Amino acid sequence: MMPRPVFSLSVDRHTPVLVQGITGRAGQRHARMMRDAGTAIVGGVSARTDIGPVDGIPVFGDCADAVAATGAVASVLLVGAAQVLPAVTEALAAGIRLVVTPTEGVPVHDAVEIRNRVDAAGAVWIGASTPGMAIPGEAKLGFLPDVSLAPGPVAMASKSGTLSYEAGFRLVQAGLGQSAWIGVGGDPVKGTRFADLAPWLARHGRTEAVLLVGEIGGNEEEEFAQAVAASRLDKPVVALIAGRTAPGGVSMGHAGALTWGSFGTWEAKRAALAGAGVHVCATIDEAVKALARALGAARG
Amino acid sequence: MFLFEHDAKVLLGTFGISTPEGCWVDAAGRLDGTLPSGPLMVKAQVAGGGRGKAGGIRRAADAEQALQVAAALQAAPLGGLAVAGCRVEQALDDAREVYLSLTLDASNAQVQVLVSDAGGVDIESADPASLVRETAALDAPAIAAATRRAAQRLSPANRDAVVEAGERLAAAFVALDAQMIEINPLFVMRHPHVDAARWVAADAKLITDDNALYRQPALAALVERAAGRYPEAARKWRHGCDYVVVDPAGEIALLTTGAGLSMMLIDELRAQDLRPYNFLDVRTGGLRGDPQRLIDVLGWMREGTQVRVLLVNIFAGITHLGEFSRLLVQALDAVPAFRVPVVARLAGPGFDEAVEVLGARGVKVEADLTRAIESVRAALCRGTSAPGGAA
Repeated sequence: MMPRPVFSLSVDRHTPVLVQGITGRAGQRHARMMRDAGTAIVGGVSARTDIGPVDGIPVFGDCADAVAATGAVASVLLVGAAQVLPAVTEALAAGIRLVVTPTEGVPVHDAVEIRNRVDAAGAVWIGASTPGMAIPGEAKLGFLPDVSLAPGPVAMASKSGTLSYEAGFRLVQAGLGQSAWIGVGGDPVKGTRFADLAPWLARHGRTEAVLLVGEIGGNEEEEFAQAVAASRLDKPVVALIAGRTAPGGVSMGHAGALTWGSFGTWEAKRAALAGAGVHVCATIDEAVKALARALGAARG
Repeated sequence: MFLFEHDAKVLLGTFGISTPEGCWVDAAGRLDGTLPSGPLMVKAQVAGGGRGKAGGIRRAADAEQALQVAAALQAAPLGGLAVAGCRVEQALDDAREVYLSLTLDASNAQVQVLVSDAGGVDIESADPASLVRETAALDAPAIAAATRRAAQRLSPANRDAVVEAGERLAAAFVALDAQMIEINPLFVMRHPHVDAARWVAADAKLITDDNALYRQPALAALVERAAGRYPEAARKWRHGCDYVVVDPAGEIALLTTGAGLSMMLIDELRAQDLRPYNFLDVRTGGLRGDPQRLIDVLGWMREGTQVRVLLVNIFAGITHLGEFSRLLVQALDAVPAFRVPVVARLAGPGFDEAVEVLGARGVKVEADLTRAIESVRAALCRGTSAPGGAA
């Protein structure tokens, strides 16, 4: 098996970003909202070039033209589930280094192929089934709600969009904010997994603590627990895991949230994370309080 | 989607996987297919493993006895799992039991092939040394080649069967958008008849991908035809949302969006000794100005005989709450029979408008989830004498 490229992320207000699928309903709306959040949206891609610029953002017929004209290095893909694989392929061929795919419902076999292509290109893929990522105060690639975002010391890594909105919202209410927020997404096969983030989080200067927002199913939380030690992530890590009381054998909304026997269960994740020194909380409030305490102690 | 053994066998049969002749028998004794003759096996159809050890597989001498056993097996849950039906199939004897599985390893985005000479119900406790592992890229020739490599480390008597079955399963795995196929046991016949199969999939576990249903006509047809067996997949396919009844005696219906927050809400309610009825990821982003999905959902919630309050929790990233509130009011009006107090917790764009729209309908909107849960508790206390209330 080919070794995976090491995850790295350098996104700020100067990072030139494309929106693929910009002339669609979601594309138009979120291109505007991302720009309002400070993101340098430099162009859009759509077969419908006849529509003309969207809010002054130029629209190109394909990624190669868009990259040639704008120098874009990142792309947010707001396209249908069946279009994600061809659209990512097009972006990589044009030299895009970071693709963010919020789309829900990408077939797992497509996700395998996307991941192989992204890895071969040495690029970074965030998604699918994710609200995206943000560096609050700098840029937002996706649709994390502004009320849940503020610059601060906590890096958030999340599977679920809505649960992370709620957790982010309460962090901001508690006077904390985020150094980075990466929605890895709820699908089983994905571009960036929790464990991929651990070495980066360990090095990331503005991150003083980490909030992991996980859920039942798969083994990402367990992998992350191993990666905490391996990457010497010695910052305080607090985790929330949804689905403690969910029934087994049924996908709870996310394709990835399927438990099987003792595999992927809440208890298996809690035990693995606790063994790595991660503070696993039962409620959102408890997690926010734990972070506030940890940061207070670290700064105290 | 986890397929019941019977459906998995029918589907895999189309890829040249031989299985014992059999049919589906429902709780009323109705047959889907024809009963084979001779000694039979009656197998409870449940969405989980450990069935054999839980007593869910029994032998019957003839058809009459098989139908009696099938009725008995469907009378009660098996190991905590509902029995959806029974498969009655031809009993086969005089075979070696081999294990063969293909699993999509999500972590490494490749396929893991696992084979063993020691198949059967004890595979989980088998000596790890008896398990042969190989990995392959997600493509049929690569998976078949990995199975061939693995087979070389099995007993010579089992190799040919595993190689041939592996080749066909590899094709099925890719063609069906599978996440897992497990054949345990694969019967390798000791003395096959001249005109009979040399190997037979005696059991079959197949997990497919709901997201790929749009390009899987055979699976989509199954979900349409047997919606009762696959209620979650059928709802998602027809209505575009995820809905799971988590406690048939639950008192709190949940109209929620987002899988993670909905699961966490259920966990937090239960931790406070409250009883949620359902899980729902309604996907407000997909409503597109049409209340129909909300109307459908409220209709399903009516099946909860103990439901006494509806908790709406929407943390909107994309959705405009004013627009959502108008759809919710239309839906509540369209399902007058669902008359329970409504507590709405909303956050996101259009909040003020939502307060106005829902307020006019007598629904109080909370901005804070903790306070909304307190309101739910209060409504449950009030509602013990007079359900109906604000809605």
